[in-house]
Amino acid sequence: MLIQVVISGLVIGCVYGLIALGYSLIYKASGLMSFAQGDMLTLGAFLGYSFYGIFKLPFVISLVCVVLCMFFLGLFLEKAIIRTLLKNHVLPVYIVLATIAISYIIQNAAMLIWGTQTLSFPQIFPIPLVGVLGVKVQPEALFCILMSLVCMVALHIFMKYTRFGTAMRAAAMDATAARACGINVSFSTGVTWGLSAGVAATGGILLGPIYGVYTMLGAIIGRKGFSSAVIGGFGNMYGAIVGGILLGLVETCTSAYISSAYKDIISYSVLLLFLFVKPTGLFNEQALTD
Amino acid sequence: MKLKSVSKILLAVLLLLVPLLFRNFNYGILICGFIGIYIIAISGLDLVFGYCGQISMGHAAFFAIGAYGSALLHKYLHLPILLTMVIAAVIATLIGALLAYPASKLVFHFLSLATVAFGEIVYQLVAQSPGGITGNFTGFYTDSINLLGFKISTNTRFYYFALVCVCGFLLMKHRLVKSKEGRAFLAIRENSHAADGMGIDVKRYKIIAFATSAFYTAFAGSMYAHYVRFISPETFSNRQSVMFLTMLLFGGTASLSGPIMGAAAVLLLNEGLRFAERYQMLIYGFMLLVVILLMPGGIYGIIKKRIDKRRVVS
Repeated sequence: MLIQVVISGLVIGCVYGLIALGYSLIYKASGLMSFAQGDMLTLGAFLGYSFYGIFKLPFVISLVCVVLCMFFLGLFLEKAIIRTLLKNHVLPVYIVLATIAISYIIQNAAMLIWGTQTLSFPQIFPIPLVGVLGVKVQPEALFCILMSLVCMVALHIFMKYTRFGTAMRAAAMDATAARACGINVSFSTGVTWGLSAGVAATGGILLGPIYGVYTMLGAIIGRKGFSSAVIGGFGNMYGAIVGGILLGLVETCTSAYISSAYKDIISYSVLLLFLFVKPTGLFNEQALTD
Repeated sequence: MKLKSVSKILLAVLLLLVPLLFRNFNYGILICGFIGIYIIAISGLDLVFGYCGQISMGHAAFFAIGAYGSALLHKYLHLPILLTMVIAAVIATLIGALLAYPASKLVFHFLSLATVAFGEIVYQLVAQSPGGITGNFTGFYTDSINLLGFKISTNTRFYYFALVCVCGFLLMKHRLVKSKEGRAFLAIRENSHAADGMGIDVKRYKIIAFATSAFYTAFAGSMYAHYVRFISPETFSNRQSVMFLTMLLFGGTASLSGPIMGAAAVLLLNEGLRFAERYQMLIYGFMLLVVILLMPGGIYGIIKKRIDKRRVVS
């Protein structure tokens, strides 16, 4: 029982981590918050379903296609909407509301295109179950954990060791100084939004085979992702992952051993607790002080 | 000046005659009642967001506390409804103050997260209440308002009741924003550090703003409960909080008339979109985006700009 709980906790925790990673990227790069991240996950899952389940492309190719599509969508949204609003010098609440509007549009467009029913994502692996430490689990669950970790490491390497990643970090740290060094800040912010959309979509594809695909899949995950981001320290990439995994474990343990009715209340209470008591999170991220 | 008072009297007469104008159109009076409820709810949100500059994305929670609080108190303690409405609003005020106490140190984005989390917690408590006292997802039936034996059971009666409530609450708001507290709110909105330097107890006034705002919204929630006489958790989801913010921003913040125009415009638009039920939320999303991109000052902002321009010309 415990191992099963831990594995399902890790699965959902890794997805929370991926979503939170997107929040952290965006917050670091532009000091903004996107409420559309969860719906990016939904859209990613639906696109994955279409490419893999309907068009019958190989899984790896579908994954690449989805991530590319979502990357360009994220880039487009930043360029078309967020940048326009920033140029108009509107209150920050309008940007938050704009991302909420985007999330409504994605949710309802997805509902019109793919319907209201829960679609079952076709299996990725030919075997239905594998044994891990004496319990049988879906291979997709293990794949989800593995892929999220790969995603995080890849993103870490990209941000830390590539030329472009360094430029992005510089742009996030001090936009004016970065601009003076010849970095295209506007482009790198756009890429950040694209990357976080791509990461969220990956989460969607990984979660699809386990949870099924439906229009509200990402809405709750998106809001819980905030909890994991705050637990780890908002803006801290590693904190996002650790926070996500912690939250996933806490949540599945409560629903397994106490009651599933209270699992949402617990994760939001954890969010409030961290905000009120330790807003810098486990990793002591100082982003909150400004 | 004379023209202004004449137009005011005309407006008052018009408002009093609305049920007569809609004599054969009960649905119209129904909507007018809802507009009244939303005006009060959004005026509350305006106090905390428009005047004090503190965002709340969980005001549906106070709406829920008012609605469920009043309905539950009536059902289980058999108190008269008008009293339960006031008690529920007072409870919401206390909860608002309790939430604002630790939340007052959070800045914009993190305050919005905290209020989202608060809204979700209340929603979950209502939807999966211990022992099912709120009726959970099946909803909860309640009675209409009973004013010392006079039942406010028809739409017309409720319209007049709402009209009195709206006038009362707007008057209260007007008095509040013109008072010392109101000036402190504005100072905090413009620059909280400077306000602090001038001797304004920032934390205290943020709590006052939040608590007052909770009172307004919760009272509106209890009005909603006894108007519809049926409440279910869907009405109090985070979508409702976003709707409040949309109405407020659409109408224009930090004014008396902004919430009125916002509530009326968004509610009428929503009703108008009912014919396209499948596309309603999609169109709503696009409209929200267009409004944000094209008219960030809201209706009030546009009108004000016009008037200011005319003044400059003359």
